[in-house]
Amino acid sequence: MSRLSEIAIRIEPPAAVGGLGGGVTAILSELITLLERLTDSQESGAIDLRSLPMSVDDLAELRRALGEGEVRATLDAEGVSAIRETKVPGVWWVEHRDRHGELMAELIEVTRMPQILMTASEEIATGARLLREQLALRSGPRAG
Amino acid sequence: MPYSDTEVTVGEMLRRHGISRRGFIKFCTAAASAMALPPSMGVSMAEQLAHALRPSVLYLSFQECTGCLESLTRSFAPTIENLIFNIISLDYDDTLMAAAGEAAESARTKAMQDNFGKYVLIVDGSVPTGAGGAYCTAGGHSAVDTLREAAKGAAAIVCVGTCSAFGGIPLADPNPTQAWPVSAIVGDKPIINVSGCPPIPEVITGTLLQFVTTGKVPDLDEHRRPKVFFGNTIHDRCYRRPFYDEGKFAKSFDDEGARNGWCLYELGCKGPTTYNACATVKWNGGTSFPIESGHGCLGCSEPGFWDKGSFYAAQSTALWGKAGESSPREVLQLAAAAAAAGAVIGVASAGVSRLRQHRRAQDANEPESNGDN
Repeated sequence: MSRLSEIAIRIEPPAAVGGLGGGVTAILSELITLLERLTDSQESGAIDLRSLPMSVDDLAELRRALGEGEVRATLDAEGVSAIRETKVPGVWWVEHRDRHGELMAELIEVTRMPQILMTASEEIATGARLLREQLALRSGPRAG
Repeated sequence: MPYSDTEVTVGEMLRRHGISRRGFIKFCTAAASAMALPPSMGVSMAEQLAHALRPSVLYLSFQECTGCLESLTRSFAPTIENLIFNIISLDYDDTLMAAAGEAAESARTKAMQDNFGKYVLIVDGSVPTGAGGAYCTAGGHSAVDTLREAAKGAAAIVCVGTCSAFGGIPLADPNPTQAWPVSAIVGDKPIINVSGCPPIPEVITGTLLQFVTTGKVPDLDEHRRPKVFFGNTIHDRCYRRPFYDEGKFAKSFDDEGARNGWCLYELGCKGPTTYNACATVKWNGGTSFPIESGHGCLGCSEPGFWDKGSFYAAQSTALWGKAGESSPREVLQLAAAAAAAGAVIGVASAGVSRLRQHRRAQDANEPESNGDN
């Protein structure tokens, strides 16, 4: 056993409010507000799950409430990140892990596409330059 | 170790080390989370930092135990490796750097000359002034002289740890070396105090990151501590707070209340008057903090914490002077007066604690403890 998460802990279920813990209800309510804002003003939003006093059971309840959507992306940069759309369109669950697999950040983003997935303009320009260099190498004089 | 490579932007340094833009956004998102900033700050912080020049940083260690540097080097997000090689140019740290003797001292002098007016000076440890400063010297120079010289060209001074911020343990009574905090020696530079014994590593790196990102001194409280980390008391954010509000207190470290995770106020927890981020940022990569481990807060990020009486006496007890100087009736009168001001539960529990001390002393038929043992 080398990780805290491997130690089995029994956690009492939170007091049910209509089948959901109070914290989960508050987050779902906030997500509705963020989705309305995205629709009305195109403004994205996010909730930092690590900043909230949520138990493991609350998080599991929230995962169940949001469910799994159609899109899943894996980002491999300084560790693996899992980015997936929930069954609620526009609501993305984002987990960033470091090179050792430890959770660095856990967010719910309300957006059309998480910004970290989009390619930056300067990188597109770099991509074009790299391709030009490759073409130049191919069309240049060949030894022998 | 890179010396004075301050003409390179953070973004360029990241590219040199093979860290992608997305990898850096991840890093900044984690840092924003640790700093309790809005999640959207991660992306904008990454964009700003990528175009920022890496500041030269000098780390001076004076009358200290190296616990603060130990804490810093165990930072999880951002890690010290990222800080050293990507965000800042750490040009002098006599504990971490490979160079020693004249080579180390000349590196410091060169960094100060090359970056005069722009470098960040980190100070760890109090500054002894007794015996002409002879209690702490390096390279033939006293700590107080080295500090004064290094402060002249600093853009800002970051005091890491309670010793450099408030004097800490060296300043505690009887202060044999006549130790002082940096603010008592340097009066004409912006000073940011990151107190704690030691400070939380993410608070140290977060403060540096915030300074590098914005180029400005963050909003500070009356003790010059960044409000983003020191804006709330431990008590305000403690997960045991509901038990305090319900009047449920552990009476000893092994009773039923302790096992139930009740409030540790009566066992000396200084959470109500201690400003720090332990209850939210926590320690060891967000694993836990002292109260979560069953021990009260010592108040180590507050000025004079070492001279405020026993770590294990209820807080109000110390405020009311030595045990034995007030009778149980006086304690109840004080509690009643304070209750009228709204502090019902805490004061009442402190009164009970004092009564318990009084009763134990009577039972033992000996003078009461003064709460310092």
